[in-house]
Amino acid sequence: MALNGPTRAVTLSPALSDSVSAPALSAPVPAIARVLASLQCLRSGPGSLLPLLALALLLPLLAACQPQRSPSRLVVATKSRIDSVDPVKASRIGAMQLLSALGDPLYAMTADGRIEPRLATALPTISSDGLMARIPLRRGVLFHDGTPFDAAALVFSLKRFMAIGTLGYQLSDRVKEVRASGSHAVELELHQPFSPLPRLLSAIFLTPISPTAYRNHPDKPLNERFVGTGPYQLTFFGGQQVRLTPWRRYWGPKPANDGMDLVTLSNSTALFGALRSGEVDVLLSSGLEIDHEQALRRDALAGRLHEARGPALSIGFLSLLTDQPPLDNPSLRQAIAHSLDRQTISRRVSLGLRPPLRQLVPPSLPGSDPNAWPAYDPAEARRLYRAAGYCGGKRFSLPLTFRSDIPSDRLFALTWQAQLRRDLGDCVTLEVSGMESTTAYDQLANGALVLFFYDWIGDYPDAENFLAPLLSCQEPQGNRCAKGNSALSGSFWTAPGLDLQLVRSSQVEGPGRIALLRAIQRRTAAAVPYLPVWLMEEGAWSGVRVSPPLFDGSGRVRLEALHRLGPATAPGSGGEAGR
Amino acid sequence: MSRRNELLRYLGARLALAPLMLWLIASLVFLLLRVAPGDPIDALLGPKAPAAVRAALRQQLGLDQPLTVQYGHFISNLLHGDLGLSQASQEPVAGIIRQSLPASLELGVTALLLAAVVGLAVGFSGIARPEGKLDLAGRLYGIGTYALPPFWAAMLVQLVFAVWLGWLPVGGRFPPSLLPPTGTGFYLLDSLRAGNWSQLQGTVRHLTLPAATLGLLLSGIFDNALRLNLRRALASDYVEAARSRGLGEARVVLRHALPNALLPVLTITGITVASLIGGALLIEVTFSWPGIAFRLQEAISQRDYPVVQGIVVVVAALVVMVTVLVDLLVALLDPRIRF
Repeated sequence: MALNGPTRAVTLSPALSDSVSAPALSAPVPAIARVLASLQCLRSGPGSLLPLLALALLLPLLAACQPQRSPSRLVVATKSRIDSVDPVKASRIGAMQLLSALGDPLYAMTADGRIEPRLATALPTISSDGLMARIPLRRGVLFHDGTPFDAAALVFSLKRFMAIGTLGYQLSDRVKEVRASGSHAVELELHQPFSPLPRLLSAIFLTPISPTAYRNHPDKPLNERFVGTGPYQLTFFGGQQVRLTPWRRYWGPKPANDGMDLVTLSNSTALFGALRSGEVDVLLSSGLEIDHEQALRRDALAGRLHEARGPALSIGFLSLLTDQPPLDNPSLRQAIAHSLDRQTISRRVSLGLRPPLRQLVPPSLPGSDPNAWPAYDPAEARRLYRAAGYCGGKRFSLPLTFRSDIPSDRLFALTWQAQLRRDLGDCVTLEVSGMESTTAYDQLANGALVLFFYDWIGDYPDAENFLAPLLSCQEPQGNRCAKGNSALSGSFWTAPGLDLQLVRSSQVEGPGRIALLRAIQRRTAAAVPYLPVWLMEEGAWSGVRVSPPLFDGSGRVRLEALHRLGPATAPGSGGEAGR
Repeated sequence: MSRRNELLRYLGARLALAPLMLWLIASLVFLLLRVAPGDPIDALLGPKAPAAVRAALRQQLGLDQPLTVQYGHFISNLLHGDLGLSQASQEPVAGIIRQSLPASLELGVTALLLAAVVGLAVGFSGIARPEGKLDLAGRLYGIGTYALPPFWAAMLVQLVFAVWLGWLPVGGRFPPSLLPPTGTGFYLLDSLRAGNWSQLQGTVRHLTLPAATLGLLLSGIFDNALRLNLRRALASDYVEAARSRGLGEARVVLRHALPNALLPVLTITGITVASLIGGALLIEVTFSWPGIAFRLQEAISQRDYPVVQGIVVVVAALVVMVTVLVDLLVALLDPRIRF
């Protein structure tokens, strides 16, 4: 590894840079003259001022020339900046997407929602009391540094994650102890039975890392290197660019491409333009504004691009402050629930890209209940507002806060405001105000926001990870939650026995679990501490001469499956994505 | 006291005041960040992390300590040249600045040169015939470029030249298909030193749109400044005297009026350097330019206190340095200046 100081860029494979650099020139020639000498089309004779003059004249030409591109590698763009490739620091979509190419999980969710073993060879064997899970591991797997993958490596990785991981609590809240029970088998001792364990272990942030490479980083992150077992090796990590090269000793199917560069562009216009102009081959939707997504969809329908939509694992919802006036009145909350015209809002705001949602669990997951929350019913809403003393001269003033740094949140707020004015203008007025995300989260947990619109994406694909983070409560006081996730989420709502139901739902399996998850949702829907609004799914687009992107069941693009179609593009032609 | 001694005394006073100014700025930023709403723990863990995890992280980052203790650590570390660790990535703040400052300087210097060349050329162009068509066009140019909102202009440029015409890249600092040059962090310089045509080409292509946008937006300042000062100089007694001695108009303008008109422009250049930081932010965000202003914006949104404090202190130090240098230069060039 060579650190190159000021740029922080890390090059992990010297051989790689040779493939993209111009041939080195003889030493004594001055630097500028060397550049000029290397120009293929515009050579100039030596002279004291001539090189400088020529360079000044050539700058516009330099800018105009198209750079050469390797025909066998792909360029993938995303908005999500990656500050660290260490799984212990991974919590954002971009880092998870990258880790899914560099590492392997123990289990993987397939696109059709099945769980299949990856670094494990079978599903966990659970002891009769449900407190011990035994996982057999795959043999013959090597880390990118040549270290063999075994039980000791997995124990090292999981313990390190529990100790210093940003999401370490996801594992340490469930797992008491991790130990090797053989060279290729581990035992997880659980605090209490936990039926979604394989789904939790499918989380890519639990991907094993080489104990050799991380020997000096057992208790601190290693931000710029990653040594795992996945189909790609990390060969360059810079601020905006990450280079992946196929791992030639990968245990599974080899990647369908010769590697790729992941680039970060900071805004939606740049991402959209990069795909349209052919600068990038594949675009991941994280961070794209809705009108750009819509334009790309039109291009895809016209055959100028490939579009793929992943499983929807993110929900947009409203949090209602239930322990203070005015929303401590359940009838008013019900009235609000009946006032929300999700169909119109989805059509107007997201142009149909975000389907209406009337449950907290995404429909692709077991335990979903598509009609749990009340449907839009202005007549019923009016009746409830009237019963609460509003309509006919007195209007209920409802303050809605949205995240000002998320454009679609603002659109939602304004559209709902207009819809309420149109349908129930004599009963309710929506007072909208924006607040920057980080400030809003702080205010939310302090009980300062009466009605707040935001979103939630589960850390792993299971219903439990959508219900417990919104509903669990450590200090219930009747229907009020004084401390716990419900308070952190801004509703401060709970119900007698709800936590027991939540715990039970993560202990049982099969139809019993599904029934319990639905019962929890119905119970919550009746009290309306939250109001699901829409479902958000990840999208990805590729040029017509690149294979259509494929998603796995965890909502990530399978980068190793991307490849060019037909004859390779002529170098410098760019233009993969139709204009 | 001789002029040289006066100059040295002035320089000494300015340099002695610089640490005081930096301390004031650092303290103000420290205080404002803590007063501003929003919790770094929310930014790091999201709103759903358990209370125990949040408390543990708060303790680990030292945010549970009294404000006075945190301030004491900050100032003590600063005095030892330690800007601390980023709360988000645990990277040294000095490393983050070393990584992003060259990008900003490369963009800023290129834009400033472009702004000076274009602005001065436009400002000078109308001088032959004041109130003529060329002068009017120059004035409109000056007002127009000064008044244009940077983010709007940047997005327009991006759409036209990158998305519609496809001539130049939409953003980023370097082509993703190449590995960036290594060395100083100034890619133009590094690729020239390496004699690597592909790298130089990639650097120039990516630099062109942001530098041109920023440069043209700033050029109006130079245009207006030169036009006004040149007109004032041409109406002065010493220019009249030169004319009455029978000197040609070109010589009068170039040898007598222009050098005097350029002195205030030099001062404006110093001020522009400071305003570049603010102006560059929108350009850096629009063009995905990984510079220090972009990094500052990210750090503010993440409530990454050490990074925000570090960047503000370093940028303030740079601005102080540049203004002192400009003052010195003006003093050296203009014998009328007294201290």
